[in-house]
Amino acid sequence: MAFQDIQILRMCYLRGPNIWTYRPVVEAWVDIGELENHPSNTIAGFYDRLHTLLPGLVEHRCGIGERGGFLKRLQEGTWPGHIMEHVAIELQNLAGMQVGFGKARETSGRGVYKVVIRTRQKEIGIAALQKARAIVMATINNTAYDLASTVAQFKAMVDRMCLGPSTACIVDAATDRGIPFIRLTEGNLVQLGYGAKQRRIWTAETDRTSAISETISSDKDLTKQLLSQCGVPIPQGKIVHSANDAWQAAQDIGLPVVVKPIDGNHGRGVALDLNSQTDIEAAYHVAINEGSEVMVERYIRGDEHRLLVVGNRVVAAAKGETATITGDGVSTVEQLIETQINSDPRRGEEEDFPLDTIRLSEHQHAVLELQRQGLQAHCIPEKDRVVIVQRNGNMSHDVTDQVHPEVAHVVALAARIIGLDIAGIDLVAQDISKPLQEQGGAIVEVNAGPGLLMHLKPASGNVRPVGKAIADHLFDPKQNGRIPVIGVIGTQQSSLLCHLIAWLMHLNGHRTGLACQDGLYMNQRQTSTQDARRFDIAERLLINRAIDAAVFETSALDILDDGLPYDRCHIGVVTDMPTPQGLDIHDVHTPEGVRNVVRSQVDLVLPQGAAILHAQDLQVVELADLCDGEVIFYSVDANHPVLKKHQLSGKRTVYFRDNHVTLARGDQETLLFHLNMEPIAQLLQKENIQLPTLLAAVASAWALDIAPLLIRAGLKNFGKTPDDVAQQVARMNA
Amino acid sequence: MEVTRIRALRGPNLWTRHTAFEAMVRCQTPEQLKLTSAFESRLRHLFPGVGPMRTGDGKSHTTMAHAIESSTLHLQIEAGCTVTFSRTTATQEQGLFQVVVEYSVEQVGKLAMQLAIQLCEAAANSGHFDIDSALQNLRQLDEEIRLGPSTASIVDAAINRGIPFRRLTEGSMVQFGWGRKQRRIQAAEIDSSSAIAESIAQDKELTKKLLNAAGVPVPMGRPVEDAEDAWRAAQDIGLPVVVKPRDGNQGKGVAVNLKTKEDVIGAFNNALQFRNDIMVERYLPGSDYRLLVVGDKLVAASRREPPLVVGDGKLTIRQLVDKVNADPRRGDGHATSLTKIRFDEVAINRLKEQGYTAESVAAKGTRVILRNNANLSTGGTATDVTDDVHPDVAANAIMAAQMVGLDICGVDVVCESILRPLEEQSGGIVEVNAAPGLRMHLSPSFGKGRNVGEAVIQAMFPDGDDARVPVIAVTGTNGKTTTVRLTAHLLRTSGMRVGMTNTDGVYIQERQIDSGDCSGPLSARSVLMHPDVDAAVLETARGGMLREGLAFDRCSVAVVTNIGKGDHLGLNYISTVEDLAVLKRVIVQNVSKNGMGVLNAADPIVVAMAAHCPGQVTFFALDSHHPVIATHRAQGKRVVFVEEDQVVAMQGKMQVRIPLSAIPVTLGGAIGFQIENAMAAIAAAWAVGISWDSICAGLATFISDAQAVPGRFNVFEYKGATVIADYGHNPDAIKALVQAVENMPAQRRSVVISGAGDRRDEDIREQSRIIGEAFDDVVLYQDDCQRGREDGEVLALLRDGLKGAKRTKKIEEIRGEFSAIDMALSKLGKGDLCLILIDQVEQALGHINKRVSNPGEELVV
Repeated sequence: MAFQDIQILRMCYLRGPNIWTYRPVVEAWVDIGELENHPSNTIAGFYDRLHTLLPGLVEHRCGIGERGGFLKRLQEGTWPGHIMEHVAIELQNLAGMQVGFGKARETSGRGVYKVVIRTRQKEIGIAALQKARAIVMATINNTAYDLASTVAQFKAMVDRMCLGPSTACIVDAATDRGIPFIRLTEGNLVQLGYGAKQRRIWTAETDRTSAISETISSDKDLTKQLLSQCGVPIPQGKIVHSANDAWQAAQDIGLPVVVKPIDGNHGRGVALDLNSQTDIEAAYHVAINEGSEVMVERYIRGDEHRLLVVGNRVVAAAKGETATITGDGVSTVEQLIETQINSDPRRGEEEDFPLDTIRLSEHQHAVLELQRQGLQAHCIPEKDRVVIVQRNGNMSHDVTDQVHPEVAHVVALAARIIGLDIAGIDLVAQDISKPLQEQGGAIVEVNAGPGLLMHLKPASGNVRPVGKAIADHLFDPKQNGRIPVIGVIGTQQSSLLCHLIAWLMHLNGHRTGLACQDGLYMNQRQTSTQDARRFDIAERLLINRAIDAAVFETSALDILDDGLPYDRCHIGVVTDMPTPQGLDIHDVHTPEGVRNVVRSQVDLVLPQGAAILHAQDLQVVELADLCDGEVIFYSVDANHPVLKKHQLSGKRTVYFRDNHVTLARGDQETLLFHLNMEPIAQLLQKENIQLPTLLAAVASAWALDIAPLLIRAGLKNFGKTPDDVAQQVARMNA
Repeated sequence: MEVTRIRALRGPNLWTRHTAFEAMVRCQTPEQLKLTSAFESRLRHLFPGVGPMRTGDGKSHTTMAHAIESSTLHLQIEAGCTVTFSRTTATQEQGLFQVVVEYSVEQVGKLAMQLAIQLCEAAANSGHFDIDSALQNLRQLDEEIRLGPSTASIVDAAINRGIPFRRLTEGSMVQFGWGRKQRRIQAAEIDSSSAIAESIAQDKELTKKLLNAAGVPVPMGRPVEDAEDAWRAAQDIGLPVVVKPRDGNQGKGVAVNLKTKEDVIGAFNNALQFRNDIMVERYLPGSDYRLLVVGDKLVAASRREPPLVVGDGKLTIRQLVDKVNADPRRGDGHATSLTKIRFDEVAINRLKEQGYTAESVAAKGTRVILRNNANLSTGGTATDVTDDVHPDVAANAIMAAQMVGLDICGVDVVCESILRPLEEQSGGIVEVNAAPGLRMHLSPSFGKGRNVGEAVIQAMFPDGDDARVPVIAVTGTNGKTTTVRLTAHLLRTSGMRVGMTNTDGVYIQERQIDSGDCSGPLSARSVLMHPDVDAAVLETARGGMLREGLAFDRCSVAVVTNIGKGDHLGLNYISTVEDLAVLKRVIVQNVSKNGMGVLNAADPIVVAMAAHCPGQVTFFALDSHHPVIATHRAQGKRVVFVEEDQVVAMQGKMQVRIPLSAIPVTLGGAIGFQIENAMAAIAAAWAVGISWDSICAGLATFISDAQAVPGRFNVFEYKGATVIADYGHNPDAIKALVQAVENMPAQRRSVVISGAGDRRDEDIREQSRIIGEAFDDVVLYQDDCQRGREDGEVLALLRDGLKGAKRTKKIEEIRGEFSAIDMALSKLGKGDLCLILIDQVEQALGHINKRVSNPGEELVV
């Protein structure tokens, strides 16, 4: 008997921090139907089939917290929602996307589960859950499943949709440093940091990588000319117009030389390592047939190397290798390539392999290399003859530690001359641990936007932290790309509170963005009237390079729909605990459930930040323990026990005393202003500001280090246009 | 007539501050030496614009050289080049003239000179010369190579600010400034424009997303699936809308200003015929504007109109276009302020849409549009509206540029009126462009031109920054290399990263990046191009100045150590000390206005250069009472001299005293010429504002050994005797060496000397004459390299000079430098002194070092 298919009721992608975790996840609601009565241990052969199909599941620790944890749960008995979660994560891992987080929770409906998996790409996460269902069902029903083709399909999706390896390693390094990121396109353009503090990268290019420098680096002649002018060794070359001319040039340049057509194709007509007049003149005649003009260039002996320069420093170096075969007197060249080169387990067709397989049908260079040695694919080299198949193939042998300081100097100088902050410098040298001068080595090319893979996946030697080097180049050690982010949640005047905070930040000299229910504002100017609590509208503030502080209003519903639009915040304000009303669609029905949503606002507060909590709401007070940073309580009642207790431990509180708004650190009080002070009284009346709202605004401003005098002045002038203020100043002066 | 050599003088030179060609013209026949009126009239007939031919002195005859001079100059002028200078000078050789003609573009000048030679030959032989095609070729070449208008406007602004520039390519890539201050542009793109920003600008959708994030009005839109979706999108976006294929070009399938469901769906189905992916976007009514943002400023704005003609009721549209294109401001490419209207298939199709053909006659006053886009390059026009831009619109444009990250940005705005905020009139920004064309702002079709080049320069260089690093040029007959090395050392001591050229090589900080004689402009240029250099100290020898002119347009400091009796006289038509002085004076003439000439007060020829220095002058001399020093000092100007065993630097009441004992290179004051070199270096460092602490510290740590200054008074000890190696090779140098050596106590003095064959006979004789007064033993040697002399010729001259010597008792002759050294060394005893005048500096010093470190070794002579 076959079980009926699991139903996926709905799926949504939570882009920001959410009730499950800080990172983006896909949340699926699945109905397992009758399977609710059939946990894994009750289905004959299920455990063995799944384990055989996905042996990698042994690495899933699950709740048990040790290797094999999940398998143990499978054996003990668990339900398909939970199993789908692990299968979906395993699928993503098999496709090369490293993720670990997942959760499966029962809902109030029988047999209905929320299955949540971490993903780095919405579409892949969604597809992974769908395929996971198919795999789980096939395994339960003991039908065949073609896992290999699914994995191949996922690999292709990861290749197409996820950040490429070079970009990803930079983003990961930035994340390790606490720098947030936003992906700006489906490609590799990524913003690191928020607002005015952001930097942009596009693979290994940065927003300081000069376009002119890229133009220069793609012009080989100009590059050589500029480098050589500053004493950087390059292969000197000369365009020649006759065979005799070629020989003259070779003597000027110094032997040995390369003779090549300047615009040849695939190395056709190129002759290397020429020493005699006869050879050089002959090579001229070959070359002139392959191109419009012929160049004689100094032949640089040695291996090709790739050195990565980041911000004036060489951070990684890789060496190419010459692939050779040795004749056995029996096998053909083609056979020898298979048995002596392609048999190397490090060689493969895909990007994952550090070295390429060599197929003569695809490697024109190799064919020409063999031709120069008088050989073709079907030839049989005599025994013990060493034949070069490929000079300087993949540059994937890490030699960073061997680079001579003089070589590092000249390579960094080359990048500086061209004007690139990140550059891949190709140089040919016999021994990278010696200065170039003494071995006749030279720089042959300068590349903008270099690939980083060879340093991340070397065939031999150490992996180099090139992503970290680039992140460190973009952000000095004290920076993390963050601007002050203030988040506000609650149901009591939270939009108004956001306006008050944004106004005070504005007066404090910040170019402040505000996203709240009544729209999007930049520097007090409204730029959208749509409800800006929605993720995609709110996120605009963080993309805006002109903003150096951002205030966000949010609601429980928004957190459940999309997650929060920022990864962490400096200030998290909770004015009151909402009711579960309207949250049924997310299966949230209880105060406990609401608390679990609202807590995100406090969870996200950075260690150096503060949670601003209303002391008179007991449920809000209970969130205090979740805060990584400071907690500031506020209350209209100066004698509220929560406040008192907080004060006793020397912490900050804000309240009314004798009708004065009062800031207190421990028992040290600062009276900020009297409520009856005319402009304040007017303000409270005109804007209908409730007292707790006023206190929350003051507490937030204080937490943001806005001077008490400025808070007072700011509140007096809230809601006034610059003209109003000017008039007031004029009156005062009169 | 024979033109033997043509040189491009690429910097200030003997003749002019401008770039110029110099040709050696040999006139052989009497007709060539004195132009006939028949020749002149034939020449003028072939090239009426040839201009006057003058000799400059009003006495001598005009020659063929003068004809070539004038023709070369005037061919360039007629072709539109801005050149004025030319000159012809007779050399000492009968019939041989130097012809110098300014050029603005090297290749054009070169071609002009070749054409001028052909022209004059044709005139001489009553031949034919096609002047029209010659001028056409020149013009074409000039237009191809000279900078385009956008780049030229920036370069001109740089020139006005005194910023040096250098073209890096034949295209529009230009480098401004020197050393670490260098910056680059390529047309209207500057080196700080990031490649990422340019990629973003090319992605219209991403650009709109970023602009929208910043609240800048953009025509939002989205790709749509089907006709129904298109209508849904239109409602979301707000009517009216545009329906168009994504990335569609030439307006195919584009429908604008759609207001109804019917229209939108119809337009969608129509667009499907051209492309599969269709967009619906908000429609922006109004005109096209281009706003130019540079840095954080709006610097210019134009309203752009597509190419159009206005009907007159008579002419056909084709004729009207021809009439418009006859405007001389309209050219074929980007080089002129407007471009001709292209009357191609696109234009014909556009006419068809309006119900015309090329041969239609439009009613009087009708505007007939020939293209949808308003690009200048397809014949559109631009009207300057810079002063009309509403501040909010300007703020939007600046914000757009900053969101994308472009520091020079052409922002395309569509709106009804630029006078009002975009939000009020549903206007918006439709595109941002990297490397925008500047033509429409420099010389708009209507309205005021704007100096946008200046704005670009302003964005790259703060006010008052001329992008120069201090350049100290050093020349003279003797002491150049030591002065260069010591000056560089003083600058380095103050923390500057110094680039230095001299006769041993090119150095950047402690690294030698080139070796050999690097005292020419090529090496100097490589220092000025080096991105690490804070200051340049350049030995500037005569050879390079003659060959190519200076590597810089002007310098901060020009040091002339001395001229004395000169050196290398008779080479390159420099035959007298006066000629030499005029040549070496070039660096003094090209001191910047706030710069400094550092001149040797004890050398009257050098003193005379002071009058040619545009900046201030510092004089130095050993003698504190020298009248030049005394006068200069009394005038409150800078002087450096020696008093009571101290070097004194003085200006008005300010004075600094440095004991000679604290300047090791002078050997406690024993070596006069080293004191002079030190004074020159002190004055140069003082001129560029190096602190006295750094100067004193630098003087104290500068050692003139074979390592630091090879071949310049390197002192060794050998078996208790003193051995001095020096590269002295002219009478003045040897005189100074003798004077220095006489200040050093010694039993017996010997000297090893050869003579360089390329000196005049009298100079070689003079050398040994001086030697004969001061040394007991002389070893003469001859090397393989005799620089054009017969075997034994130089030795004979040296022997000649020693005839009747007062002191010399013993003369020996030997072949080979090493053998000569060994012979002298083998005879040294304790307390003796031996001066070795080395020739092959590196090898000879190596040999001496070897001997000195193994004194026990037996020498086989």
